[in-house]
Amino acid sequence: MKTHKVTFYPDNRVAEVADGESVLTAAIAAEVHITATCGGDGDCGKCRVIVDDGAIVTKQTPKVSDEDAAKGYVLACLTSVTSDLKVLVPPETRLGIVPEETEEAVTYGKMMTAAEEAESLDAITLDPPVAQFFLTMTPPTLDDNASDTVRLTRALRQAGVDEPVIFKPAALKEAAVACRQEEWQVTATVRRDPEQALVTMLQPGDQTGRAVALAIDVGTTTVVGKLIDLDTKEAVAETSAYNRQISCGEDVISRIVYSQRPGGQARLRELVVDTINEALRRLLTAADMTQDNVVAVYAAGNTIMQHLLLGLNPKYLREEPYIPTATTFPWVRARELGLKLGPRTNLYPLPCVASYLGADIVAGIVAAGIPTSEKLSLYIDVGTNGEMVLGNNEYLVSCSCSAGPAFEGGGVKYGMRATFGAIEEVLVDPTTYEPTIKTVGGKRPIGICGSGLIDALAEMFEAGVIDAKGKINVDLPTDRTRIGPSGPEYALAAAGDNGADRDIVITEADIDNLLRAKAAVFAAVMVLLDSVSVSLQDVDRFYIAGSFGRHLDAARAITIGLLPDLPTDKFYYIGNGSLWGAHNSAISREKRAEIAATAARMTYLDLSTNNKFMDGYVAALFLPHTDATLFPSVKTGARA
Amino acid sequence: MEVKETYNGKIREATIGLGDTAVTVGGETSLPLYMFEGAAPNKPVIALEVYDTKPEDWPEAAIAPYADVLDDPVKWALKCQDEYKADMICLNLASTNPSTGDRNGADIAPIVKAVADAIKIPLIVYGTANADKDAEVMPKAAEACQGKRALIGPVEEENYKTVAAAALGFDHLAAPHSPIDVNIAKQLNILITQLGLAPERVIIDPTTGALGYGLEYCYSVMERLRLAAMTQNDSMTQMPMINQIGREVWKAKEVKTSEADEPAWGDAETRGVLWEALTATALIMAGSNILVMRHPKAVELTRQFVAALTGATN
Ligand code: FES
Repeated sequence: MKTHKVTFYPDNRVAEVADGESVLTAAIAAEVHITATCGGDGDCGKCRVIVDDGAIVTKQTPKVSDEDAAKGYVLACLTSVTSDLKVLVPPETRLGIVPEETEEAVTYGKMMTAAEEAESLDAITLDPPVAQFFLTMTPPTLDDNASDTVRLTRALRQAGVDEPVIFKPAALKEAAVACRQEEWQVTATVRRDPEQALVTMLQPGDQTGRAVALAIDVGTTTVVGKLIDLDTKEAVAETSAYNRQISCGEDVISRIVYSQRPGGQARLRELVVDTINEALRRLLTAADMTQDNVVAVYAAGNTIMQHLLLGLNPKYLREEPYIPTATTFPWVRARELGLKLGPRTNLYPLPCVASYLGADIVAGIVAAGIPTSEKLSLYIDVGTNGEMVLGNNEYLVSCSCSAGPAFEGGGVKYGMRATFGAIEEVLVDPTTYEPTIKTVGGKRPIGICGSGLIDALAEMFEAGVIDAKGKINVDLPTDRTRIGPSGPEYALAAAGDNGADRDIVITEADIDNLLRAKAAVFAAVMVLLDSVSVSLQDVDRFYIAGSFGRHLDAARAITIGLLPDLPTDKFYYIGNGSLWGAHNSAISREKRAEIAATAARMTYLDLSTNNKFMDGYVAALFLPHTDATLFPSVKTGARA
Repeated sequence: MEVKETYNGKIREATIGLGDTAVTVGGETSLPLYMFEGAAPNKPVIALEVYDTKPEDWPEAAIAPYADVLDDPVKWALKCQDEYKADMICLNLASTNPSTGDRNGADIAPIVKAVADAIKIPLIVYGTANADKDAEVMPKAAEACQGKRALIGPVEEENYKTVAAAALGFDHLAAPHSPIDVNIAKQLNILITQLGLAPERVIIDPTTGALGYGLEYCYSVMERLRLAAMTQNDSMTQMPMINQIGREVWKAKEVKTSEADEPAWGDAETRGVLWEALTATALIMAGSNILVMRHPKAVELTRQFVAALTGATN
């Protein structure tokens, strides 16, 4: 079979692919990470690359303007390789690195501070599910002739392990030598489940004090990992990276679709494992440790991510009646999954509730303290799916809705993730209709991210650039609004402004997508409240989780009717609740049990056939909402 | 024991036309026809249809009452007013439909003016619900009947800025038209009142389905609008409602088919008249205030029904 060499710039990475393969496939093979929101269907127009040199066959697509086509832009997924190629991946297409989280002050509500995080850690008693015990035993004699395992078990009892003790075969094999090498002093690594304590490793002498656990949040977009010191409970290193599965589609649905292609499921598992391994490598370097220090892994992700990581077929999560293979999972060997860890290190997948309500949410609400509080809390995590939980120590109801990729920049002409060059803040002057923009990292604008879109929508609405239905007024005395190639549009940045090399516009179609996203989220909130007959005013605390929530300007999100109109003192941002829950699980058996119990007692409402949801959705397809009484502060402009 | 509900909402009163012959609709303080719980100061009224051009697709039974006037909208309107005692005239600008006549605003303006000037009773002017075309035609139509305080419709989401603005500019009322959806009806009301049109000058057109062709959907949406208006005091639903009944009924297969083709279905005229009267009476129960109808005999039956329900004598 004929093959060709494809070189990607600026990374200068090469892949050898068969004649006729797509450039996107070549990029994946070359480990060049390209944004492919639709997973290579030619629908999203995000996989733009420039072919510099070589022969290709590319399909015509309205997603690339004639002007861009003339410059050599093609869609990687629609272009097949027919000779050796040189391909330039422009900045807007590159996956890039996750920008450092800055400790930004939020203007609406309250962000959990580092001090509070530390305080909440203090409140947790150190009692890790996988722990190391330094044991000292009395040597056996002819009179005291109990076996090694009996001696070890006795010592473990004394150390407070009261579950039945079981020895893994590997530990048994090393017991005789380990016990005797350092005069009956050994370090036992023990995995403590509610029903038993499993001794997984025995090492001579005192090896304690060096054990860490890996806590990971396996997000659809971003994977965040922490190494946790099992003596101090604290994180010793933290890192994040884009989930490499992004090259196979932006949201969970497109991942499920991809998983059904030949080899797709295996490929997705590989990609997420690669992402975790890369994060792990960075963490170990930062902490100056090796894989031997890692005694356990705790992974929290949504149900689809958990399935893909564990190699479970996610197909049926997407088909009515939306049933996952499992919502609680056994410990699995990390190495079997492909993680670069020792053979005895196991991974605990945190439990999920339903196909579209995953461990990330369960972990988050436990981290926020919702299941034990008398206060009525509403917890919401918005990404490509909006997931939410309402409740307290008496009940927990939850639901999820598909928000579409708009908040992550997908389905929007110039949308992108919140990486460098993304417009993240927008002001629109109500008299001149001129925009003022701020980009991530202060870089040259290359697109708009979710928070920028929300800002833009709110500002355009307040300035009268769009009406309550999201229709752009093209009759305004400004050339910022105009009829573009795909209908009415508003130019946020014209080529030349702030160094932009192309016009960056918001189209009416983009606005429609955003409206649909916000309407789905808000309608879901209302259905949840309605299901237990409480009103918005009854909610004591409103938690916003996730990285999107962190960058979001809540006041603007209220203006467009995405978030409920509650006073600022009810808003709490908890950042990455999923990771926080995984961290809690790593240091406390009690927390781990609480998370499992919480998952088991959560009620999940399926909205797919819910009439109230459909009705509320149409009502919310309006700025801020058809029922203006739900948004009193937007009308008066006076927020508490 | 008598159980009575009290409502905190009220339907606004809207007046179409000027002077002695002006017609006021709305004003209900209870759910439709719950006369034991509130007042309904104004009866439902009936507008008869007049087309700006001779209709091609009307069945024989609908043609017959107007056979002598179909070519002349003014005579037609006067016949409806004088002979069939219509409360209002609804002039349908069917000839502007892009797929048939495609006449433009300037072409039909003289017709609108002639009809408006000829009749004493109030006027309703309806476009073809082609949003782009109506945006061109309806401002001209509104201008042509300036000074008559007519009802201009349909106002669609896609053209409200032009059509509702024309109603506002030429001092008429507007009929926002929504696709059998309570929320969209409300949204359109919000948008057009935000343009500056007083809510007292808005009549909701919730989309009409004929008997057998979506009547029950139409009914339940109207019912929900009235429940929101009465029980939730939802200001943006408290407008009177208009239903385009004639147009919908007379295109139904059961109405159009002749007796020769379906002998078992019986006399075509009786069938059509009953179909229209049944649709109209059901919609009155759902809260309709203005019924736009076609056949004089159906109007007669509907009037008897209204009289029986309201105890009024006609
Ligand atoms: S268009 Fe190529 S990945 Fe979406």
